[in-house]
Amino acid sequence: MTPEARSPAGSLRTGVAQAVLSEIALLLENLAATGQAGAIDLRSLPLTEADRAELEEHLGRGEVEARLAVVGASEVWETAYAGVWWIRHLGAEGEIASETIAVTRVPEILMTHPADVEAAAARLQELIMLRRESAIGEETGNG
Amino acid sequence: MAEEQTLGELLARYGISRRALLKYATYIASLMALPPAASTAMAEALAKARRQSVIWLSFQECTGCTESLTRSFNPTLENLIFNLISLDYHHTLQAASGTAAEAARLTAMKENAGKYLLVVDGSVSLAENGAYSTIAGITNLQMLKETAEGALAVISVGTCAAFGGIPHAKPNPTGAVPVSEVITDKPIINISGCPPIAEAMAGTLAYLIAFGKPPELDHLNRPKAFFGESIHDRCYRRPFYERGMFAKSFDDEGARQGWCLYELGCKGPVTYNACATLKWNGGVSFPIQSGHACLGCSEPNFWDKGGFYRPLSTATGTSGAWIGGAALAGAAVGAASAAMLRARKKSSTGEK
Repeated sequence: MTPEARSPAGSLRTGVAQAVLSEIALLLENLAATGQAGAIDLRSLPLTEADRAELEEHLGRGEVEARLAVVGASEVWETAYAGVWWIRHLGAEGEIASETIAVTRVPEILMTHPADVEAAAARLQELIMLRRESAIGEETGNG
Repeated sequence: MAEEQTLGELLARYGISRRALLKYATYIASLMALPPAASTAMAEALAKARRQSVIWLSFQECTGCTESLTRSFNPTLENLIFNLISLDYHHTLQAASGTAAEAARLTAMKENAGKYLLVVDGSVSLAENGAYSTIAGITNLQMLKETAEGALAVISVGTCAAFGGIPHAKPNPTGAVPVSEVITDKPIINISGCPPIAEAMAGTLAYLIAFGKPPELDHLNRPKAFFGESIHDRCYRRPFYERGMFAKSFDDEGARQGWCLYELGCKGPVTYNACATLKWNGGVSFPIQSGHACLGCSEPNFWDKGGFYRPLSTATGTSGAWIGGAALAGAAVGAASAAMLRARKKSSTGEK
């Protein structure tokens, strides 16, 4: 009995990381050839912590890292392989709520949704109007 | 009440961005083992959907199901579900009481006729015309029938509503039955468990709201995404089972080493639920990880199966299934459990 086997977290390398790497390679070739994005849901795979660490180690870190504060924290980074992104969403207690490898030029979660742009434009106009009204009020008060 | 605004518009009013909705959809898609690409479609569908009216009726129950769904109440990813629904009636959670509470139920039924979701926790008493359990002067039986009439679908949360549960256990003095024995003309989704896992309830609701149809269900009408695999299939102690390494008592060396709890009565091999993968309390642990065998609480008749600490290899009482005196090791046990699973799949709910 190895101590590793006792641990529910599992520090054994099961070989899943290698399989995931091969799948990423296929998705990346497809992205390069056709521009079609792909993704792998890591949470659906029986990854041990050692497997996850192995995968992270092989993929490394690239040029972009982002921290999101969207209903809890999220971490997104481009790996050392351009177009391969690691997206980790955290839950209330900091646990991993979902974890995806996205093979794409830019992960969708980083892009601003058109509806949010529209809402932001309206809010900014509202702020400008408020500032203007406030400035007029001050001028009138001073006068 | 259900609103005319779309959820996207409503969430924007609360300062919740579409990015948040996409993150939520990614979380739900991952929970339900949908393809990663489904999260975008789900986020767009949720944004376009109307806030779903939900009427929640609590009958012969302990409030554990409500506790499970509402326990963590921070504005987090896990409970964004509360922004997607309009909980129009829930007599434990709502501020109104008495006549005002019942008026809220009747108004929701009228305004959203044919469109509201009916969630039920607790079993329904039939004995003495349902007199054992009443709310606002009417029996649970009467309230269920009149509220289900205009419902789009019924979601039975918890083992009591799904299969009768503890009130249904022998000798069942109140004549408790599951919702499905009373309502036979509406789609029914069972989310069993005592209590059910919050993510299973939230995920099923989110799927229904986004896609307007139930997710794929198993033979007991449970979403396959959460009930498609047994606890045993996904248990981290499974390697010990395969090697025939079993704890013989709760404090022996095997138990300390984290060996399989099969001989201590674990019902994991015949219990379908997501405890071993989603776990409890924000993914901290689940009963087997905490050193206790699975009680099989998401299965019909779990209370009457001959004892929580009796191994599955002995008679299981109600089902009549018997796994003979095979040595509790390796392949023999595997074959026996497989036989039991086959028997289970052939059986109906068995809640008569």
